[in-house]
Amino acid sequence: MNQQHDAGSQEPGLAEIEVILRELSDADAELVAPPAGLWDRIQTEVATSGGSNVVALDRRRRISLRMASLGAAAAAVVVIAVGSVVLLSQRDARSGTVVASAQLAYDPVNFDALGADSSATASLVNDNGAFTINLDESRLPDVAAEAADLELWLIEPDAQGNPVALVSLGLIDRLEPGVFTVPADYDPDVFYVVDISIEPRDGDATHSARSILRGPLTEA
Amino acid sequence: MLTQASGEVDAVEEAFLRGDESSLPAAYAAHGSLVYSFCRRALGADDRASDVTQEVFVSAWRARAQFDPSKGSLAGWLMGIAKHRLIDHVRSEKRHSDRRSSSAVIDIPVESEVDQMGDRMLVAEALRSLPERSRTIIELVYFGDLTHSQVAERTSLPLGTVKSDIRRGLASIRHQLEASQ
Repeated sequence: MNQQHDAGSQEPGLAEIEVILRELSDADAELVAPPAGLWDRIQTEVATSGGSNVVALDRRRRISLRMASLGAAAAAVVVIAVGSVVLLSQRDARSGTVVASAQLAYDPVNFDALGADSSATASLVNDNGAFTINLDESRLPDVAAEAADLELWLIEPDAQGNPVALVSLGLIDRLEPGVFTVPADYDPDVFYVVDISIEPRDGDATHSARSILRGPLTEA
Repeated sequence: MLTQASGEVDAVEEAFLRGDESSLPAAYAAHGSLVYSFCRRALGADDRASDVTQEVFVSAWRARAQFDPSKGSLAGWLMGIAKHRLIDHVRSEKRHSDRRSSSAVIDIPVESEVDQMGDRMLVAEALRSLPERSRTIIELVYFGDLTHSQVAERTSLPLGTVKSDIRRGLASIRHQLEASQ
C-alpha cells in the first residue's frame, strides 16, 4: 500500500525529501532560542576581526572628553535606516521651530529586551540656533527596579551606520520625558541618530550598550 | 524567513549576498534558533553549542560571497556550514575519547547522524515556512499516511490541486535542503 509514491517521487530529488518527511520526529521540529548574549559575541567577533566594514568604536578616535564610548558589544550595532543626513541650516532661525524628527524604534536583535514594548518620537527644535530634543508620545519601560535609569543620547554614525561618537543629553523621566538641550558644540547634522539606553546606577558614565530605542533624525 | 518557492530569493538573502550589514542581524534573527538548536542536539546544552553557532555565523559572514541563492536557501547554506563544523567537533571528541579509553561508551552522534539530523531539522523548518494549505496537505500525506484522493476528500480540494500543492511543496523543501549538501 505504497500510495504515497504517487506524490513526487518520479522527479529526481523529491523522493529523498519524501523519505525525510516520513522520518521526521517532534525533536526535529523543536527550536531552542540561542542564549542571550550570543548575538553580541558574534557581532563583536565580526567587528574586531576585519570580517566586515563594521568597526569597533573603541578603536576609533574619541572626539572629546564628553563623548562616552560604546562598549565592544554595542560598537558593532548596526544602525538601520540611516542615510538621510539631516540638513539643518541657519535659514531656519525662527524661535522654537521643529526642524527634524525621528521615530525611535526597538531592534529585537540588538537591543535590550526591556525595550520590547517601547516607542517614542524625538523632535529636534531650533530656537535661535540653540537646539533641543523633545521626546513625545513616549512609552518607556520602568527600569527603577533594576537600579537603572533611562538616558538620551545623540550618536554620530559613520557611512555604514555604525556609531562613531556619541553625547549624552541626560537622564529621562519616563513619565515626563520633556526637553533636552543639545550641547552647543555638537552639530545635530553630524550627531543625528537619537538613542535611548538603560543605564545601571553604577557610576559609569559611558553608554551601557543596552539600547532600547533608536532612530535617525530626518528633516521635518 | 525561508523562501516560499524553489528558486525564489528573499530580501534577507539578497542583502546578505550584497554584504549589507543589516542582513547579518536579519539572518541571525531568522535562522539563529535553527542553527543553535542543531548544535545543541549534536553537542549538548553547553557552551560548545553556542561556540559553534558563533563560528557558523562568523564564517558565513566572511564567506558570504560564496553563497549562491540559485543553489539553495540561506538557511540551507548556514546549516551546511554548521554540519561541517559539528562533524569537525565530533571527530575531535572521538579522538579525545579514544585516547582516554578504548572501551568507553561514547555518547556522541556519529558523523552520518549529524548529517541526517541537520537534514531533518532543515526539512522541518522548510515545512513550517510553506503556505498553510500546502503544509496541511503534506502533513496529511506524509504524517497521516493518507492517499491523495483521501486528502482531496478531507480538504474538499480538487485532486489536481492536492497533487500540485504536494509537488510545489516538495520542490520548495528540496530548495531549502540543497545548499546544505
